[in-house]
Amino acid sequence: MRYVDAGYASALGALFLYGLGLVLRRRRWERALKASGADGSGTSPAAGSPS
Amino acid sequence: MNAVTPSARPRWLDIVGLLGVIAMGFTVWLGLWITPPDVVQGNLARMLYIHPPIATVALYWAGGVALAGSLLYLWPRTRSLFWDRLAASAVEVGAVFAALTLVTGSLWGRPAWGTWWTWDARLTSTALLLLLELGYLALRRVPTDPDKRARRSAVAAILVAIDVPIVHFSVNWWQTLHQTGSIVDAGFQIKDVHGSMAWTFFLGFLAFTLLFVWLLGVRYRIETVQDQVGELELEVSLSERWSEGGELVGAGTPGIPTAPRGSS
Repeated sequence: MRYVDAGYASALGALFLYGLGLVLRRRRWERALKASGADGSGTSPAAGSPS
Repeated sequence: MNAVTPSARPRWLDIVGLLGVIAMGFTVWLGLWITPPDVVQGNLARMLYIHPPIATVALYWAGGVALAGSLLYLWPRTRSLFWDRLAASAVEVGAVFAALTLVTGSLWGRPAWGTWWTWDARLTSTALLLLLELGYLALRRVPTDPDKRARRSAVAAILVAIDVPIVHFSVNWWQTLHQTGSIVDAGFQIKDVHGSMAWTFFLGFLAFTLLFVWLLGVRYRIETVQDQVGELELEVSLSERWSEGGELVGAGTPGIPTAPRGSS
């Protein structure tokens, strides 16, 4: 079973980490978008790209 | 240039993600604890509840979305950055699934074939798919304007997609160590899988498909927001340039153009 366990752990672990990474990246970019004035005011200067 | 407003995050996407997690939980529970061991492969067959679904997502779902998005971008009537962003998102998510296809396949191959890796046609063409996807993602990072990037990326995605049928038919075109399709053969005929094994198998396909849709949606959102931030940064830097130019002209410097107010 150890190969099977390793297969499940690696697949699910990698997908979890990738999904979490995407959610964090999305949050960071949405914050950057808000900071750059797209929240309706359109007046404040653009924030630096969070990459 | 118009003001950019952030679009709302779709609620259905969170529901899809939640359903994917639930389906995945059931797949793992059924796959590891409930289904019986296979007559031939024993417990090793449990890997087949995740490996073929992951490969299906990597090849057909991600490859299909990337190809369709790229063709729709290149087609003048449907040209829109929406398709470019969708294709780019599909390639990135597809690369993750392609890597996992190789990892889970290797973990199955070691006890089944006695080797982690062999230059088998199916394995090699899948590794090539991953390399092509990484090449696509690298090409996309080359700085240029969005339309030029989209055109280049679309052509690259078509090259990536050419490998998909090669991976699919590799087990029929060449004598390979890898067996033919686990549930659908090359002629798209469904093979026999019974009872709880069949249900777990199909649930695995559903779970990974739902997770793919969720990951694609989140990745697409990042792509869109990145472009919006880029547009705003450009807008701000242009208006700063214009105002600098205006001040210099006002100070009597010849040869520096001024923009009409509100034209940025």
